Parts: sequence; structure tokens; C-alpha cells
Amino acid sequence: MSDTDPREVEGKRLLGIVPGQPATGERKVPEEQDLVTVWPHLLVRHAVVGVAVLLFVLILGILFDAPLREVANPFETPNPEKAPWYFAALQELLSHFHPLVAGVLVPGAVIVGMIALPYIDRNPAARPALRKVAVVVFTSFLVVWILLTLIGFAFRGENWGWVWPWDEWHGEL
Amino acid sequence: MDRRRFLSVGWKLGAVAIGCAGAWTSWDLLRPLPGSGLGGLIKTVPPDEVPAHTTIYVRSAQTYLTRIEDEIVALWQKCPHLGCRVAWCEGSGEFECPCHGSTFNRAGEVRSGPAPRGMDRFVVAETDGVIQVDTGTVVRGQPAGSPESIDEPPRDGSC
Amino acid sequence: MKLRETNVGRSIFRSPDRKTERDRAAGHWSSFLLHIYPVKVRREELHFRYSWYLGVASTVLLASLVVSGVYLMFFYVPSPTTAYGDMQTIQTEVAFGQFIRNVHRWSAHLMVITVAAHMARVFYRGAYKPPREFNWVIGVFLLILTLLLSFTGYLLPWDQLAYWAVTVGTSMADFVPFIGGSAREVLVGGDQVGAATLIRFYVLHVALLPLIMVAFLLVHLWRWRKDAMLDQERPGMGLGPHAGEEGGVGAPPGSGKQGGGE
Repeated sequence: MSDTDPREVEGKRLLGIVPGQPATGERKVPEEQDLVTVWPHLLVRHAVVGVAVLLFVLILGILFDAPLREVANPFETPNPEKAPWYFAALQELLSHFHPLVAGVLVPGAVIVGMIALPYIDRNPAARPALRKVAVVVFTSFLVVWILLTLIGFAFRGENWGWVWPWDEWHGEL
Repeated sequence: MDRRRFLSVGWKLGAVAIGCAGAWTSWDLLRPLPGSGLGGLIKTVPPDEVPAHTTIYVRSAQTYLTRIEDEIVALWQKCPHLGCRVAWCEGSGEFECPCHGSTFNRAGEVRSGPAPRGMDRFVVAETDGVIQVDTGTVVRGQPAGSPESIDEPPRDGSC
Repeated sequence: MKLRETNVGRSIFRSPDRKTERDRAAGHWSSFLLHIYPVKVRREELHFRYSWYLGVASTVLLASLVVSGVYLMFFYVPSPTTAYGDMQTIQTEVAFGQFIRNVHRWSAHLMVITVAAHMARVFYRGAYKPPREFNWVIGVFLLILTLLLSFTGYLLPWDQLAYWAVTVGTSMADFVPFIGGSAREVLVGGDQVGAATLIRFYVLHVALLPLIMVAFLLVHLWRWRKDAMLDQERPGMGLGPHAGEEGGVGAPPGSGKQGGGE
């Protein structure tokens, strides 16, 4: 634009030009959004959630002690030997498949898939009902992963054999 | 290529080169020093103390000694799957890994479980009447699915 | 007299007296602590069912982990000869040692849960869709960092649980083609988990990974703040090619240079 701004076009003051849009005439008027100020509405809620979470952790800390087993001994592997619970699904996979598959390819595929998800799923709908494929795929992955975690955490005993958690308990947090 | 383009590509390549040099240097700095592992020759027991139908454990070498067809074999305790210590089970006459349940026969060959190969061996030699285990030289085990070299079916009584 | 009406108060807050909503927005805008928040958000974001506040919960847990972790650092020496003894000292002699250790442990476990649940919630809400794709990617990295921090911290007590879980975890690297073997050696610092591993994991756990974590978290929050007012599933808003650009068609009023407090 030249330095004669602001100028008038058809009786209206021209403020800017958007490529591909008419300077005058019918323009989309964006819907007014229903906005609230963060202070106090959101901040108060965040503060309440924060205090609640802290309180929960403090109570857990009073009620339950973190485990500490015997000192590390390279000559004695505990039986069963369990990874932390968030890796229990991986450990369960590792007991069934070659480590290249279960320890490298599967976790690698999960990470790459998660990163690529928004670039693969270009369906603009946000409601679950309008994107059944994505929801079904993600949910089945989630269910399988939670099941594997549960099995590895609670249903495995000596030599990684199957046990019922109400008979023998081997889970450790 | 004009001057503008040369400079534009040049500084980016320079930045990448510095980044690579930094990454390579740090990687190399973090590599363990040679000899920081088990390493070295370790004296164990006289040859006639090595049994033929069971194993003995040598703690200093982290090794099981046994006799396969009159030959003394040193099997490293480390599971070829994910590194747990494999335990010898007298009841079943097998090695059993507590982590993912792999089992190996007395010669360290895979019987079941997810282990991709048999237990690794160390080279042994007899000097001055004792067996010496060379923990610096690891002989990798046979891949899973290879035929077993000894005929000792597992007994009842897994550990 | 209120603090913010005095000369000192004015110099600190630099905002007008709160009489209108505009004053309040101006006060927000000039506050350092509040600058990680947008001035306004959509009303639906206030509802519990919108986010279940899992992102906030994760951030608060991270803060709790930093505080309790720093306390524990005063009493812990990362060496195989001392580590386990220090753990016993923390549990028996240090004031509130056992309690702080419990809080650290449970916060870590909970944080893995809340971060994972946060991702699931974002997925079902469809909140990873344009223009928020990149923030989802940062979120994936934050999940990985959370797991790595948990895993490196797992070795530090130097008990049987720690030693063998880390032996198994690091042995997995061996199976990565080409670089796996040396990657494991660099991580472990030798043939098997030992003194070199403990100091490496300690440095990763208390310095390197937390720094990376905070850096990623800041970008994550910043992206959230920038996108907080963009709506989804409305024509021209949040999904169109010009959505979110200044002056683009469909940009909400006040998202331009002067308005909205941005």
C-alpha cells in the first residue's frame, strides 16, 4: 500500500488487503466466541486442582512407604525380575517375541506413530462420532497396552510364569 | 551459484558440521575405557573338579563350568536375551532365566523362551593344573532352534 | 490501604485499579507470573470434562518432583559403595526423609499416569488437529522424557529392584541394528551395570533430562497459550488455511496486534 493510506474504496475505509478476498462487499463476520477471562475463572480452578493433587500425593506419602529391597547384587537375579510397571507391557512383549521386534520395532513404531498421528489423520472433525477409524484404532491400541501392562505387572510370577494375583502377588511399584 | 546463495548454504553447512563434530566427540568421550569390563584371565579350579552331569559356579568369572563330552566349557551367566543372571537348576537339570523364562540345557543351548541364541561361552585353557577362563574373549552361542548337542531331557522339578 | 494502591504496590504491579474487566486483563497482561496464561479462554475450557485438568495435574506433579528431588539430593552420593547406605540413612535418620522419598516416588508414578491420560484425553477431544499438530508432537516428547526420567531415577536406590530392572532395560538397546551395541556401552559405561552406570544415570536424572523436560514444557505451554482462543469445528475458525494468522479471515476479533492482550 502507498503512503496515501488510509484510502477509501466505495465509501469504506480500506485497512488491509487479504489475498483472494474482496476488499468490499460480503465478508465473513466471525462468530462471536464465548470467552472468559483467565483470571479469575481458570486460575482459581487450576489452583484448586493443584492443591488437590498435592494433597493426594502428600497423603499417599504418609500412608505408603516406597519400596527398598536388598542392596544390588550382580550375582543374584531376583525371581521374578520385573521392570517398572510402565515398562511391564514391553517386558510382556519381550517374553513372547524376538527382542528386535518387541524391544525395538514395536516401541519405535508406537513412538513414530504417535508423532505422525496429527499428520496422518487429516479428518478435521473433532467429535469422536465423526472419526470412527481413528477412535477405534487408538482405543484398541490403548486397551491392548493396558492389558499387557496388567498382565506383566500382576499376572507374572517365577520365571515369568502365569500366576493369579490373588494367589501370589509379585507386583512392585 | 551466486554469492548470496553460497553464503546462505555455507553457514548452514557450517552449523551442521559443528553439531556433528560435537556429537561425535561427546559420544567418543562417553565410550567406556578399554578393560573396564570383566576382562582378563581368571584362574578357577583344577580340571578334575569340573563335573560331567551338573555345573559348578565360579563367582569371580561369573561363569558356570561343566563338561560336555569330556571337554570343559565355561558358560557366562549373562542371559543372551536381556542380561539377567541365568541360574542353574539342579532339579530340572537346566539353566533358567528368571526375567523372561528362557531355559537352556546343560550345554547352554536354548530350549524354550525368548532368548535369541544360546548362552555365551568363554575360551578356557589349562595352565599349571588349573582351568583359566579368558573373560576377554566371548564366543557367542548358537542361534535358537539349532539342534541340541547333548541328549539330556529336562527332569521334573523346575526351580 | 491496599498494597497495590501504594507507590510501592504500583511499581510492582504496574496495573490500574481493578474496576472493569479491561483493568483485570491489563493487570494480567503486565504480570510476569501470569504471562504463561492467555488473557482469555473459551468458556468450555473451564468445564472439568473438557480436559479433566490432567495437564495441570502433570505440571503440579513435576513441581512436586523437583522440590522433593532437590531435598533428596542433599543426602545422596551416587556411588555403589554409598548409594544404598544413603538410602537407608534417608529413610531412618534424615528428618522427613522417608516421607520425602515416598512423595518423590508416588509423584513419579502418578505423573506417568497423568501424562499418559492427558494424551488420551487430548486424542479423544481431537485437540491435536490443526493448528495444534506440533504441540501434540511436543507432548509425545514430553511423555518419552517422563518415562526416561522415571527409568533413570529407578536405578538410584541401588537395590535389587533397581539393578536388574536397569540391566534388562539397557540390554534392549543391544538389539538396535548398527548402533545398538555402542549405544548400550555409552549408556552403561561398561559391560555391565556398575559404578559408571550409576553416575551416568544420576547426571541424566538430576541435570540433563530435567533441563530438556523444562525446555519442552515451556514450548508446550507457550503453544497452548497461543492457541487457547482458537475454536475447533467451526468454519473459518481454527481449521481454515488462514486460521490464527493475524488479519486472516476468521481470526477472532482481538487476536490482531493490538487486541486480546496478546
